[in-house]
Amino acid sequence: MKRHLPLAHPATALVMATCAWLVLVPLLGVPPRYLPSLGRVVADAISVWPELLNSFLRTLSEAVLGFLAGAALGIAFGVAFARSRVLERSVLPLFIALQSVPVIAFGAVVVIWFGNSLLSKVMIALYLSFFPVAVSTLRGLQAIDEKRVALFLSFGANRMQVFWRLALPTALPSIFTGLKLAVSLSLIGAIVGEWFGDTVGLGVMLLQALYFEQVERIWVLIVVCGLLGTLLYGLLAFIERKYVWWRPA
Amino acid sequence: MVASRLNALLNACLPVVFAIFVMGFVWEVAVAFGEVPQYVLPSPSGIIAAAVQRFPQIADGLWITTFEALAGFAVGSVIGLALACLFLLVPPTRALLLPLVVALNNVPSIAFVPLALLWFGMGPASKIAIAALAVSFAVLLAALEGFSRTEDGQVNLLRSFGANRLAILWRLRLPAAMPSIITGLRIGLARSTIAVIVAEMLGAYKGIGQIVYRATAEMDSLTVWSAILVSSATSLALYGLLVLIDRRLVWWQ
Repeated sequence: MKRHLPLAHPATALVMATCAWLVLVPLLGVPPRYLPSLGRVVADAISVWPELLNSFLRTLSEAVLGFLAGAALGIAFGVAFARSRVLERSVLPLFIALQSVPVIAFGAVVVIWFGNSLLSKVMIALYLSFFPVAVSTLRGLQAIDEKRVALFLSFGANRMQVFWRLALPTALPSIFTGLKLAVSLSLIGAIVGEWFGDTVGLGVMLLQALYFEQVERIWVLIVVCGLLGTLLYGLLAFIERKYVWWRPA
Repeated sequence: MVASRLNALLNACLPVVFAIFVMGFVWEVAVAFGEVPQYVLPSPSGIIAAAVQRFPQIADGLWITTFEALAGFAVGSVIGLALACLFLLVPPTRALLLPLVVALNNVPSIAFVPLALLWFGMGPASKIAIAALAVSFAVLLAALEGFSRTEDGQVNLLRSFGANRLAILWRLRLPAAMPSIITGLRIGLARSTIAVIVAEMLGAYKGIGQIVYRATAEMDSLTVWSAILVSSATSLALYGLLVLIDRRLVWWQ
């Protein structure tokens, strides 16, 4: 039995972080330049409410669209790698290595290609989320017990049945590990993509807050980005718990 | 022994080199025959020529970026490991701090970039801080996962021989957690390069991120691509180094 990482529940984490913020800032006399009090940050958030909501929705849609496309493409490539030994030996090492390449730098090129549209951010998010999904899909598919495949075949299962009934269920926990990595990367891709020029989005607001040195606004955006990240990750973790409750043997 | 190792290395590398070569060839031909304008996609030969020509400028930026990424990586891994050990040795700190860590970890680290720039200025300090932040979370969470993998029976056995917590940590938990920690370090190294480059895009005097960002603004696509090429090659080298270290450090797997 593999033990789970005993992490605190996200809700508890949120409450405790809020309490720490409320108590520690006045207590230690933290200068507002570093961390303004929670009240001032909330007040600042309320003052830009409509823009914040718009940006939130925009960044959310960029990240989600990019994630979905990247996940679909990643799973397809993972399956292809599992099927073809040549492809796996030649292209996969490149893929693994490319994960450590500063792909963000390609953001500039993507924006040149697709312009300052929603599409260019989606493409950056796709690109970032694609690799972990492809690699984890392959890892999951490779972990299949050959004896089980033989058993399936001896009962007359065809290749499609082996894939849908055996290979995919076995690989799903591993695929979800990749998906969870990918969802946070896609959010990063969406935010950074907005830095290359746009008018709406959390990344744009971050950039503006930096230029005007508005520390309260930066903290508002840090919190909102954190909420967005938690939302996306939590949704995925929820789906995993509900539908992929089995663990790899 | 040496010959067989060299052989294995060649076996692993050849298909990759071949794949790179094929991709480069297709790219070159497609650009030449498709008459793609240079600002859309320069040809590989053009990029390599540009990289050679701009090498002093790019190497200057690359040096800064690599230094910042490695320094951030070192600081971040030490912080991450120290926190993990603290959590293990003094359980109350874990109950108190782990929720905070989890909450912070859910924020994409790049959201902290503006803050780091305001606090630490445009120089290397802000980039090192961002990289350290990104790395320490990855290492901390990986180490905690690794520590939880030791079986209670083993801990009890050591304790029955009179080992204290520190000895158990050093002789049992740390070696057992090593594979997981190494995975965390590998993720951390990738994150620290990305974090540094992203931070440089928003504000820096020097660095790959700064070169890319400025060249984008000037629509100088050859410089963008050659900076990407050089930095990619460097990250590949770093990655290879880490794989090598992995094999050396975790020989008991």
